[in-house]
Amino acid sequence: MLRFLVARLTSALLAAALSSLVVFVLMRTVPGDIVAQMLGQAGDASAAAALRGFFGLDRPIHAQFVDWLAQVLQGDLGRSWYQGKRVSALIWEAFAVTFEVAAVTLVLATLIGVPLGVLAGIVEGTRLDAAIQTFNLVGLSAPVFWVGLMLLVGASAVFGWSPPFAFMPPSVDLADNIAIVILPVLSLAVLQAAAYSHFVRDCMVAELRRDYVRAAIAKGLSPAQIHFKHALRNILIPLVTFMGLILIQILGGTVVIESLFSLPGLGRLILSGIQGRDYPVVQGALLFVVAIAIVVNFVVDLLYGLIDPRLRP
Amino acid sequence: MTHMFRGWVARGAGIALAALLASGAAAQDAMIYGKSDPAAKSGGRLTVGSLTEPPALDPYHQAADARIRVTVLAYQGLFFEDASGQAVPLLAESYTMSADGLSYTFKLRRGVKFHTGQTMTSADVKYSYDYLRDSKNGSPGAGDLSTVDSIEAPDDSTVVFKLSRRNGLLPITLTHRYGGVIPKDYFATPDARTKLNEVSVGTGPFKLKQFRQNSVLVFEKFKDYWQAGLPHVDEVTFAFMPNSAAMVVAAQNRRIDLGIFTRPQDAEQLTRVPGVRLVRTPSMNQRSIDLGSEHPLLKDARVRQAIALGIDKDAVMKASIAGYGQVIGTMVAGMQERWGLPIAEAPNQKVDLDRARRLLAEAGHPNGFEIELTTIIGYDWMDAAAVTIADQLQRIGIKVNIRKIELGVWVRNFQNRQMGFTFNDWPSSPDPSLLYYRHFRAQPLGADFRNWNNTKASELLDRGREESDYGVRRGIYNEFQKILADDVPTIMMFSADLLTVERDRVRNHQQHPTGWYFSLIKTWLAD
Amino acid sequence: MTARALREALSQANGMQRLSLILMVVFAVLIVAPDLVAPQSPLTVDPSRALRPPSAVHWFGTDDVGRDLFARVVHATRITLGLVAGALLLSALVGGTLGLVAGFLGGAVDLAAARAVDVVLTFPPIIAGVVITGILGPGAGNLVLALAIVYMPMFFRIARSGALAESKRTYVEAARALGFGGASILFRQVLPNVLPLVLLQYVILFPLALQIEAALGFLGLGVAPPTPDWGAILEQGKNFILVAWWISLWPGLFLLASAFAVMVFGRFLQARLGAG
Repeated sequence: MLRFLVARLTSALLAAALSSLVVFVLMRTVPGDIVAQMLGQAGDASAAAALRGFFGLDRPIHAQFVDWLAQVLQGDLGRSWYQGKRVSALIWEAFAVTFEVAAVTLVLATLIGVPLGVLAGIVEGTRLDAAIQTFNLVGLSAPVFWVGLMLLVGASAVFGWSPPFAFMPPSVDLADNIAIVILPVLSLAVLQAAAYSHFVRDCMVAELRRDYVRAAIAKGLSPAQIHFKHALRNILIPLVTFMGLILIQILGGTVVIESLFSLPGLGRLILSGIQGRDYPVVQGALLFVVAIAIVVNFVVDLLYGLIDPRLRP
Repeated sequence: MTHMFRGWVARGAGIALAALLASGAAAQDAMIYGKSDPAAKSGGRLTVGSLTEPPALDPYHQAADARIRVTVLAYQGLFFEDASGQAVPLLAESYTMSADGLSYTFKLRRGVKFHTGQTMTSADVKYSYDYLRDSKNGSPGAGDLSTVDSIEAPDDSTVVFKLSRRNGLLPITLTHRYGGVIPKDYFATPDARTKLNEVSVGTGPFKLKQFRQNSVLVFEKFKDYWQAGLPHVDEVTFAFMPNSAAMVVAAQNRRIDLGIFTRPQDAEQLTRVPGVRLVRTPSMNQRSIDLGSEHPLLKDARVRQAIALGIDKDAVMKASIAGYGQVIGTMVAGMQERWGLPIAEAPNQKVDLDRARRLLAEAGHPNGFEIELTTIIGYDWMDAAAVTIADQLQRIGIKVNIRKIELGVWVRNFQNRQMGFTFNDWPSSPDPSLLYYRHFRAQPLGADFRNWNNTKASELLDRGREESDYGVRRGIYNEFQKILADDVPTIMMFSADLLTVERDRVRNHQQHPTGWYFSLIKTWLAD
Repeated sequence: MTARALREALSQANGMQRLSLILMVVFAVLIVAPDLVAPQSPLTVDPSRALRPPSAVHWFGTDDVGRDLFARVVHATRITLGLVAGALLLSALVGGTLGLVAGFLGGAVDLAAARAVDVVLTFPPIIAGVVITGILGPGAGNLVLALAIVYMPMFFRIARSGALAESKRTYVEAARALGFGGASILFRQVLPNVLPLVLLQYVILFPLALQIEAALGFLGLGVAPPTPDWGAILEQGKNFILVAWWISLWPGLFLLASAFAVMVFGRFLQARLGAG
């Protein structure tokens, strides 16, 4: 188990380093840089040269990359070229927003999706099952940002209400915070609840068809015992894996929702960084996203071992 | 429709500079930043919805119009550009020009404090403008001050600018676009540039409280501001909106007090909303199409003329901004009266398909050709304009393929003088020389982004820059505009009106035609 | 599939599957002959009829420059679905081939390919899409490239594990023993067995790729105007959402319906393949 985890971690770190290199080179080879953005239609060649020197863009790419990597290995992601703030601080600020939305969405999606899926699995083949399946497939098919757009319009048309504009951390103003995240969370939760329910239903159906269930029925165990004691416990492992998958998906998926609801989250940080060619921010934020994905997968692997001792070496 | 029309633009504002200098200083001061409202009350927090976000707040190194819009509240130059595009003394109290026009002496206002608490002296002014004009510092404003030879500070309240050649527009150059007076040696510390996103160091009526990317920008009243009683509101919050739908919804539900729409028609959705009014102001912006002569097809003037004759500006404006603007010829709407060549006198302004086809045939394209037209991502108005123009040029056999590129890429093409056939959204420039010189003066004195290389036009631009008499300058620029319209290095299509949505409690808000937020200084909030 | 088998499958199909079939037929018609369904031009601009609500003349209303939305949404079917289908095809070809070869050959080739794939897999799909189109710039070509890169690892993995499993089977070993060359075994024996898996993966990924294509279009990173595309129409419509909801409604519904149809079809295939 340990060796497996170490191997996974090593390959993930290697992938992270490689992807950083790709992003680094790609950003610097495509046209347009921060100097172009800063000078706009004004400024001349000497001003451009001065600014390029200021940001170190006049040096060879490999030298720039080595410097950046050395800095990162010392735990320093550098500073935003526009903002001057530490990239790590910007990432934390943005991640707090994204994480809140993702976490609340995950909880909500689990609370809705899992019971729905279990129910559908138990009543497989009935009209109720068909109805839940239809919800699942429609939920999975609806574009998240479109659902968000419709919710925004709906809330404004029906209640004459719209979310406040400035993000408030829950610690500063809880009511405002809830008002801000409710629509983004709802639009994401529809999709993820459907995904959950869809997945849990299929697991449940497969589980209830297995031999031990038949044996349990023969032994005279009550349906409740079968469903909750055995079947549900057995689908816990795939459920945890799936939760990890969904969490990563939500973290990524917020990029569209953040831009629709003007949330200052990680996705917008990356998007505006790319558009403004703020290299340190893009590089740092992407490295962070990769790290998060690695950590989530790692935790999922660990949980595997905890839930099912048989998987432990 | 219930739009109020509030003209900030003084009608027939042909006041000569001399008269301006002679007029009473006190009366003039009262007019800085617009008319005062005797009923004004102080206090309150104002929230402004904004569709554009400044990438940073450094007035020295950031050219973005979105930056200028907001930093005018915190930083001030020696002059203020009033709504008619004239330079009004601001941190300078008065000035005199030597007989040869090569020396300007500015008397500074006394008792002006920086946000840092220090008192402004001539040494700060000298430092600020010396820093700005030194191109090694990488400021986009350096080019505007290329005629300045040296700056001297003979005493605490006097600054003398020595020029290498006459420059009639020096005062208007010393306004808000780039730079602003800051404490001496400010940029000597290493993190000084980005520190400006946390602490403002100007002399303006508002100082920076908080700037959070993708979220909000908060300015608070500067208590030691030199104009007594200003600003009226305690705090201004800019809320950055990702799209106009969000802004419409926010205005409808009173989450914002004020907002400017980038596409005026987006505000139309608010006409029936109670408690909110829409105000339309003519602007100094300019939506145009550029035709770079480095392009193999566009290097032929006949092709450029044919394109001009094939475009129906009015239809483009209707499609692009739903008619909320003014079709222009060769000058932005806000400055047409003072500087513009009457559109009727400018060639190539009316659609003439037959002539366009003839010109194309003469140029060797009897069956037309295919060409790529560039639009910039995020500039909504360009998309609708592009499809309309593609439709129109089809009539003379030109097949237009639209290509969307990012602003950064576009700017790089622009600076490398590889513009090709592209849309352009000009930032405001309150003087014809600032508007035209760098764009159209042949190299090396100008940047000549379109590779136009027109000797006659260059000569006129040189003369216009040196001249300080309004009447003479107007004549020079009218002649220049005739060449511009005839040879078509650019097609200026229209100026989009500024459409501002205001909540009822917002009072005395006078939108400046540049779109910069000077108006917030004299705005007050009713209970 | 013979006609009888088809009939049999249809008779067993449930309501959802029938609906999906009908939708697929409708979309196929829209793809093949959009001009027959929507004879108006999707490109002709007419500001005088801008932002008209749905009516007998303009079934879906008009957009902000007066183009007929029904025509735009119908014509967008071919473009949006075509882009996704093309991107996934590219992805399946490259990823599948790589996976097939890597799984079959094993060793250093396998290791190198797996590392390269890991790089792409480190990003959540939408982030990878945003990064690629954001950096390379928008446009149909870059969009296809981005989607193809994002989904390549999935095809790689499926094909690789399929090839790995097949190459250990006795018939492959027997073929080797009989002196058949590597390429011959790969294409004659392994490929036919791996192909259905790749095909199934294609159908399963299609609705997901469609969502990302639309999201990128919505972020302004999609195809250039005036080309009609559902995501791009949605992006354009969001600015008029309060006065002209119809601009945003229709492309959203079309997206939903097409993703739904393919998803149901994917489940159907999965059940069939799983059972068979």
